[in-house]
Amino acid sequence: MAKPIVQRKYTLSERIYLVEIIKGLGLTWKHFIFNFKASLKPGPHTVPTCWQYPWDRREIAPIFRGEHMLSLDDKGREKCIACGMCARICPAQCITVKKGKVKEGEEEKYAGKFYPVSFEIDLLRCIFCGFCEETCPKNAIVLGQGYELAQYESKECVLTKDKLIENYRSALESGNLKPPRKKVPVAGAKEKKPAKSKVQKKTEAQEA
Amino acid sequence: MNDWTIAIIKVVFIWSWTLLIATIMTWVERRGSALIQDRLGPNIAGPFGLFQPLADGIKLFTKEEFAPKHAHKILFTLGPVLFAVQAFSAYAVIPFGDKIVINAKEIVLQVADVNIGFLFVLAVGSLAVYGFVVGGWGSNNKYSLLGGLRATAQLLSYEVPLGLAMLAVCMTYSSFSLREISLDQAGTFLGFLPNWGFFKQPLGFLVFLVAAFAEANRVPFDLPEAESELVAGYHTEYGGMRLGLYLFGEYVNLYTLSALMVTIYFGAWHLPYIDMSAYLSPFAYGIASFVVFFLKCAFFLWLFVWVRWTIPRFRFDQLMGLGWKSLIPLGLLNLFVTAFFIQISL
Repeated sequence: MAKPIVQRKYTLSERIYLVEIIKGLGLTWKHFIFNFKASLKPGPHTVPTCWQYPWDRREIAPIFRGEHMLSLDDKGREKCIACGMCARICPAQCITVKKGKVKEGEEEKYAGKFYPVSFEIDLLRCIFCGFCEETCPKNAIVLGQGYELAQYESKECVLTKDKLIENYRSALESGNLKPPRKKVPVAGAKEKKPAKSKVQKKTEAQEA
Repeated sequence: MNDWTIAIIKVVFIWSWTLLIATIMTWVERRGSALIQDRLGPNIAGPFGLFQPLADGIKLFTKEEFAPKHAHKILFTLGPVLFAVQAFSAYAVIPFGDKIVINAKEIVLQVADVNIGFLFVLAVGSLAVYGFVVGGWGSNNKYSLLGGLRATAQLLSYEVPLGLAMLAVCMTYSSFSLREISLDQAGTFLGFLPNWGFFKQPLGFLVFLVAAFAEANRVPFDLPEAESELVAGYHTEYGGMRLGLYLFGEYVNLYTLSALMVTIYFGAWHLPYIDMSAYLSPFAYGIASFVVFFLKCAFFLWLFVWVRWTIPRFRFDQLMGLGWKSLIPLGLLNLFVTAFFIQISL
């Protein structure tokens, strides 16, 4: 049932508008003075509701899903084993992985028996759902904190493997690595403590 | 310097001055609205963003001069020109200061002190309708046409209360010349009030103020360009410098109306209780009168911006109702009361 409309009789001061307009002017004047004073203060974030973006950034949650990275383990080896699970689960089909076998003498470079010869993520297609990160058995692919992804050329929007590893290195340097994910409780599943991955240990050590 | 040179200097000065004020007003409008709405507004270009109008101007000038395919080419170009020309010419009879003495020559700070100043302002002001309606018709767009129609109806209706309010002022000062009216406002009224039109014609001022908002197409009466109903009204199809002319014309109109209000209701260049000419040298007095006049105008310019970001837009029938059923009767009442007081004081 629709709400009954209650007609209210307007008072005389409301009907001649002027009193109400002056009240309104007082209200906007208060806002104006407050913000005017605030805008004169030095610093980028003086007006409380206004973030001046390039100088003044909002805090991002640590689990933010931004630009991807391919992580390395503590010996500096690539963790990715080119299993292709990320490419498979990706709803936008933006990941292309080419698998290659690790040759003898290259074991210091790659953690597994296989490694990705090329690893491309098309950011124009990516929807940043984070499924790749969730499904990765080696915690190799991680969605980081970067969100300034605009480019002049569409070619530049395809992340290559070098760029992905570069992203990891810069995140490691600036201390923006993602904390380990909380375990999702599954009904009926056996309680079993998962062995901590090396990167998790590393991040914990960093935090400590 | 002969009289012709002085006249040309005055024309060029007031033309560039109004243009400068209109330019700065775009910045004031944007910064003011932003601060009222808890934002910051343009603050990057130059100190406090003061060069923003310059950037806007460059943008408008370098944009493509585009006309819609089925637009009437001549009328489409003529519309903004008509609007801007009347906006700039209306200031001709309004003073911008008292007088200044340079090289023992007395120069009146007014382009033309004609004895029918009032009628000139009203006549030129009503030409604004042509700018709206010609632009709206020439665009070949239903929203533009509706905007033009609304502008016609609104401007014509609100010219009546505007004229009535001004007529009462004429009766009070028994003159049509704006300079004479300004000079008459020196001294005090009833012994303690400044001898300003506002204290003699409070009701007339109210009617004039409301009608001025409607004449300038400002919120709450900006129905010809109501963006929620008519896209952008009469200037929907305009872009580039043609749109720029409309926008500039609007701010110039604003300045003209503010100056008119200051001239006839707020004592023009007179300060309350203080006679500046007694303390200052003739040259300094000229500058001071100009500054005082401009500061009073600046208050009204700010009032236009302030009201715009405070109250919502009227409905069209409310607008017409207010004009015909409230303001015109009030204007007539004011006229009768004024006539009555003039009679008994004789």
